Amino acid sequence: MSSPTPARKGADQPPVVVYDNVRKLYGDFVALDGVTVQVNKGEVMCLIGPSGSGKSTLLRCTNALETLSGGRVLIDGVPLPADERDARKVRQKMGMVFQNFELFPHKSALDNVAIGPVTVLGMSEATARERAMVLLEKVGLAAKAHNFPSGLSGGQQQRVAIARALAMEPEVMLFDEPTSALDPETIGEVLNVMKRLADEGMTMVVVTHEMSFARRVANWVVVFDHGKVVEQGPPEQIFDAPHAERTRDFLSHLGWNG
Amino acid sequence: MDLDFSPLLESWQYLLGGLGVTLLLSVLTAAGALVLGTALGLGRVYGPAWLRIPIVFYIDTQRAIPVLVILVWFYFAVSILTGISFHPFWAALMALTLHIAAYVAEIVRAGIESIRPGQVRAALALGMSRVQIVRKVVLPQALVRMLPAFGSILSITIKDTAIATVIAVPELMKRAETLAGQSYRPIEIFTVVMVIYFIILFPGTRLIDMLYKRVAHLGRS
Amino acid sequence: MNLDWSIVWDHRSELLHGAMLTVLLTVLTMAVAVPAGIVLALMRLSNSKPLAFASQCFVEFFRNLPLILVVYWAFYVMPVFLHIEFSAFTTGLVALCLNVSAYNAETFRAGINSIRKGQTEAAMSVGMSRWQAMRTVVVPQAWRRVLPVLASTWVSLFKDTSLVSVIAVGELAHVALQIRSSSFRVLEMLTAMAVIYWLMGYPQAKLVDWVQKKFEVKE
Repeated sequence: MSSPTPARKGADQPPVVVYDNVRKLYGDFVALDGVTVQVNKGEVMCLIGPSGSGKSTLLRCTNALETLSGGRVLIDGVPLPADERDARKVRQKMGMVFQNFELFPHKSALDNVAIGPVTVLGMSEATARERAMVLLEKVGLAAKAHNFPSGLSGGQQQRVAIARALAMEPEVMLFDEPTSALDPETIGEVLNVMKRLADEGMTMVVVTHEMSFARRVANWVVVFDHGKVVEQGPPEQIFDAPHAERTRDFLSHLGWNG
Repeated sequence: MDLDFSPLLESWQYLLGGLGVTLLLSVLTAAGALVLGTALGLGRVYGPAWLRIPIVFYIDTQRAIPVLVILVWFYFAVSILTGISFHPFWAALMALTLHIAAYVAEIVRAGIESIRPGQVRAALALGMSRVQIVRKVVLPQALVRMLPAFGSILSITIKDTAIATVIAVPELMKRAETLAGQSYRPIEIFTVVMVIYFIILFPGTRLIDMLYKRVAHLGRS
Repeated sequence: MNLDWSIVWDHRSELLHGAMLTVLLTVLTMAVAVPAGIVLALMRLSNSKPLAFASQCFVEFFRNLPLILVVYWAFYVMPVFLHIEFSAFTTGLVALCLNVSAYNAETFRAGINSIRKGQTEAAMSVGMSRWQAMRTVVVPQAWRRVLPVLASTWVSLFKDTSLVSVIAVGELAHVALQIRSSSFRVLEMLTAMAVIYWLMGYPQAKLVDWVQKKFEVKE
């Protein structure tokens, strides 16, 4: 008889993000078909599944970069506002890291990290830069503070992007396939930064194809297929003893054998 | 074939004055066109429909009519319509500014539209407002990309000022014509004036190319 | 201010003739300037230093001069240097061809250069000669990038034909200005001239937009 399933991390507190029957349509195409998931405080949630299954779309709905066609997204119990100005306030609570890094090429690494606090929070440039320096040290790039993105490798750019998102002191960090555009050698340096963040207790939602990362670091894994949640549970369940056929198919296609 | 450059030696100050007018007209036109054109371009991209449609019509009209026609119409027709007679210089300045602003507007539009949507998304994710995004993320990058095109605008402006000769603006081309007519030495005069135009135009494009190479990385996202 | 627009209608056949000459100048110039531009571009890209240099000089020279000056210069210089009396039409045509060939040369050069070197190398690695690679691999791809620019050059050329009016070539601008002088109907004729150019030029500008959209290269 297996040991009782441990309590889900953060279950003792109200969830940070609640997706309630979320639907998203692009014309006729159904990207999200009634997704109900919740993200607990301090949890690392990984969204996995085939390309086009809706994972990235769900992420973009979380910080109102996409509008919903149906259902609700609740942040700290409050539905996402429709008004753009209020939506901006919500976005400040969340940090997002993109597959293509999307650093601003006309600003140095330091200024990329500082631009959020300066422009949005009205912080003074000097203070913002000091704090940016601390963040760059945290991701191991203090020496490259004055380099421009064109002078940084992919892995370095992504780490700066993580620092940029952290500069806004978010409650949740959203990662949209953060390592998909990186060389194998540099994937490790980015995943290490993400693991450290997780260890420090940051709530994270990560869309990823890095299964060993999900297996090691995630507290909860959600499997997507064709806009629906096929299965969700702790990594031990999803990767070692999946319930759903589709999960098994997906993992075997990736050549995953534990 | 006997060449006689003496009329040039006698009247070099006259020609130089013409060059001064050319440069003054060009600089003023380029400055005005840049300001007006940028406003039109921004209005075209970000403005509401009632602003965009007339702007597009205006730009397309400027693209359809020759500079010569615009200069002549402006000088003669406007003075008939309004009863005010402009000095040719000011008529040329207005006509050329209005015309070249349309090209600047198109350059601005192309520059802005070339910025990846991902950049806007990243800025939105940080919580920036649309206005902040345009000012701090889109325009700085777009400006770098527009640099080579802006450089060619100055070059085009200088070349178009030569057309102002048809409304007797006393710029270099007009003075060359006058001198050629008086001295019966058109070949010598026009050849020298060709060299003068070449000298002022050629380095400009080279300089812009060099400048662009150094800052191009700031616009590459 | 009394306007008499009938003057435009009275002279419609002259204006039509002028417009046709405008079109003729445009077509003839392009017919010469496109092949000339290709030749100049190939010269510039060739391995022969003197050819490349000669082409570069020609292109830089005519790209950095006002066209109206070239028109005047051709008018006075050509009869003297070549010892033949050219018609104003021919002179104007020559000036336009020199000018547009230079711009086309740059267009073709940029188009060919924009095709990655790897394409030529791949073609040569299966045994093609450099010339064959150019013909079967580079030029077909380069055409897509060249066409939109040629279209826009065409419209510019169409407008620039108005400049040969200064040496009394009977195209639209000259005809309209002549009628204006003889009839003193300044506003009517100038407006008519602008409108006729607009009627011809606006569709061409829209066509250029269409061509550019169709052949847009998304990197």
